[in-house]
Amino acid sequence: MSVSTKAGRTVSRHRMSDGTFITLFVAVVAITLFLVASLLVPNFFQWLNLLNLVTNNWAVISLGVGVTFLLVSGNFDLSVGGNVALAGVLSVWFAQSTGGTNPLSIGIGLPYWFAILCALGGALMIGGLNALFVVRFRIPSIIVTLGTMLVARGIAQVITQGSQRNTNLPEEFGFLGNLTMFGTSIKFPVVFMTLLLLVAIFIERKMVFGRITFWLGSNPIAARLSGIDRSRHLTYLYLFSAAIAGIVGILLSSEFKSGYSNRGMLMEFDALVISLLGGVSIVGGFGSVVGMFFGAIILAIVTSAATGMVLSPDWQFTLKAITVFLAIVTQTWALARRNR
Amino acid sequence: MTEKQPPPVLSIHGLTKDFPGVRAIDDVSLSIESGTIHCLVGENGAGKSTLIKMLTGALLPTSGTMRINGSEYRPKNLQDARDAGIATLFQELHVVDELTVSENLTLGMERSRFGFLIKSDLDDRVIRTLKAIEPSIDPSARVSSLSVAQKQIIEIARAASSGANVIIMDEPTAALSEREVERLFGVIRRLRKEAVTVIFISHKLDEILQLGETVTVLRDGKHIATKLLKDIAGRSELIEMMIGRSVFQSYTPSTTVRKEAVLTAKGLTNKLLKDVSFHINRGEIVGFYGLVGAGKTEIARALFGADEVSGSILFKGQKIGRSPKDTIASGIALVPEERRTQGLFTEFTIRKNIPVMNLHRMSDRGIFRSLDEQTAAVDYVNQLSIATDSIDKHVKKLSGGNQQKVVLAKCLFSQADLLLLDEPTRGVDVGAKTEIYDIIRSLAGEGKSVAVFSSELEEVLGICDRIFLLYSGSLKSEIINNADVDVSHILNIVTGGEGVV
Repeated sequence: MSVSTKAGRTVSRHRMSDGTFITLFVAVVAITLFLVASLLVPNFFQWLNLLNLVTNNWAVISLGVGVTFLLVSGNFDLSVGGNVALAGVLSVWFAQSTGGTNPLSIGIGLPYWFAILCALGGALMIGGLNALFVVRFRIPSIIVTLGTMLVARGIAQVITQGSQRNTNLPEEFGFLGNLTMFGTSIKFPVVFMTLLLLVAIFIERKMVFGRITFWLGSNPIAARLSGIDRSRHLTYLYLFSAAIAGIVGILLSSEFKSGYSNRGMLMEFDALVISLLGGVSIVGGFGSVVGMFFGAIILAIVTSAATGMVLSPDWQFTLKAITVFLAIVTQTWALARRNR
Repeated sequence: MTEKQPPPVLSIHGLTKDFPGVRAIDDVSLSIESGTIHCLVGENGAGKSTLIKMLTGALLPTSGTMRINGSEYRPKNLQDARDAGIATLFQELHVVDELTVSENLTLGMERSRFGFLIKSDLDDRVIRTLKAIEPSIDPSARVSSLSVAQKQIIEIARAASSGANVIIMDEPTAALSEREVERLFGVIRRLRKEAVTVIFISHKLDEILQLGETVTVLRDGKHIATKLLKDIAGRSELIEMMIGRSVFQSYTPSTTVRKEAVLTAKGLTNKLLKDVSFHINRGEIVGFYGLVGAGKTEIARALFGADEVSGSILFKGQKIGRSPKDTIASGIALVPEERRTQGLFTEFTIRKNIPVMNLHRMSDRGIFRSLDEQTAAVDYVNQLSIATDSIDKHVKKLSGGNQQKVVLAKCLFSQADLLLLDEPTRGVDVGAKTEIYDIIRSLAGEGKSVAVFSSELEEVLGICDRIFLLYSGSLKSEIINNADVDVSHILNIVTGGEGVV
């Protein structure tokens, strides 16, 4: 019965994993789309344009990191968009000085660095709320985070009275969001996104934390019987995702020097969409941060190429929808064909 | 209905079923008279379920014929069986909790007009049937408020009212209390008055003696006898027919057992378990043997901290935590009952399955040492001779036996001192089975303790030093294994008998 298994043979890798396959697949689709768009749209094929596709989407890609980890663990996070608005508005409100003439210019008057920390704390509280309801009360995460999405944006709206706060801010408020680095036009938020991606890829590939995320999403029962603490891990994941959303919100507020309650609107859906485009499984246990990144590129190419080509920006949503459908169907098809 | 002797409602001739490497059913012929309660007994693996699966169309026979009321019967699926008048009551219930009793009874047969439900004579008919077999159930009650036994009766009533004249019941009493069993028996007896034939499968011999008229005994896929129960001299004769002269794997007493208890459990009690106490020694292989629902899995999960339990558990003289995470940390590992749903991450490779139960051993400050991970995977693949061409093979693509070895590898990697193996060889081919037994023996040889929870007598007799016999949540008896252990005594105890046969 026993088949001889020499060490040399057992290590050989003659076939790449499904994960690598899908990531490559998504990357190839992204590159092909870029080339096709370059043929059709004048001036599309430029390094600057390629760079812009990434830099213009730094916020959604950053949010996508947290969302991808949670999806892989078998959970949703729809609260990130609301959390962007909340953290941004809080950072403005905390930093505005106390002496103002109209209600929207009166703030708390904290020092800027402290205002940021407190705003981040606010975002983390939303993450904690998510974890509490998902872990402790065992409510499906899609419901919980749909609720906290509204809670976060609701609080932001109350603070800004449905409008925005942009007066009475300290001089340094606009610094972080507009800081250019390395003597180029690359701004700090883009650097933040890049670092975040690198760290996330490291966690996903090399760290126990990443592997536990996959195990949990792949088979929660086996994970529990293997001694994995689901509660603690999901709590970390929700806090991680909320922290990213908080930083994104703070950076966006800094960039525009305003706290706007509608900022980050629909970003939760964009983050979900790019994850799915990138091959992350909606039932958990499968996906990668790199895939999500290329998913974001696909979406960016389609929307920017089409609007730059023939269609009015009104077609954006319809285009997104078509892209998502096509992408998911081809992925499912490619994977099924491969494993036939 | 006529004066002439009617043909038997179901007759089987020369039925054979081959699986790769095994003949599960070997030339079985029998006939079942209309309006009788016909019992089917045999040990695990005797071929009962294979036979039932062929009757219900879930499996096609390799050869042989079946006849219903004299005409040929060749079902390809459950629907064919239903059309021929054969209904089956499976162990899992198929009722909709949110609907009322009468809605459940007419489920799938509703009449409607313009999409609205209308009342029909169907409702009256099913309610009449229900009244006939069990008057105490209110047709307008919500099914979620009923007990398991009552839900079973709903299923029986549905089968009866849909015109089935043969109802197969596969261990219907496994999850019932004694009073509920009585009630079910009442229903079965009333069904017989309605000229319905019941094929009743149970491991509990007393039930068969109490309820049945005819009994068929299967052993190793062969038809041993079909007899009227009144011609049978009690449990002992049934047991003798069931076990026959079959030879069990020879047991060699372990030399490594020390008189040093590694685990002591006192008064374990929960939903199923009733005051279970025992101890396990260092280097010992103990077996927990009992029927389905006797409490084997429950004991394993309770020791592992996966389920709630009251009572005390001391491991190496200390209390242990009440979650799998804690018990693994103290040195206990569980090979769960269902390897695919509870034991493995089937979408991942062998390499990525192995380290999960002992992450500290494989990482520094949360970062995997990938070389160690690879070495460990290669080691276990060789040590347990897992048949694969690569450690990067997805676990779902391995055979059952090799999957089970991966689960074992996971547990071994945790360096546990006590391994709880719940049905370690279920669905595993013969070759892998022997290999798994060898692994278990060598573990005990290294001074580790192993508890095997099994519903296969051959298995526990083959490898265990001591065997605990369970019946409906209680630990009934403890035997020291040796060459001339009394098998009929064991079967008597686990089927609910008392004392010596």
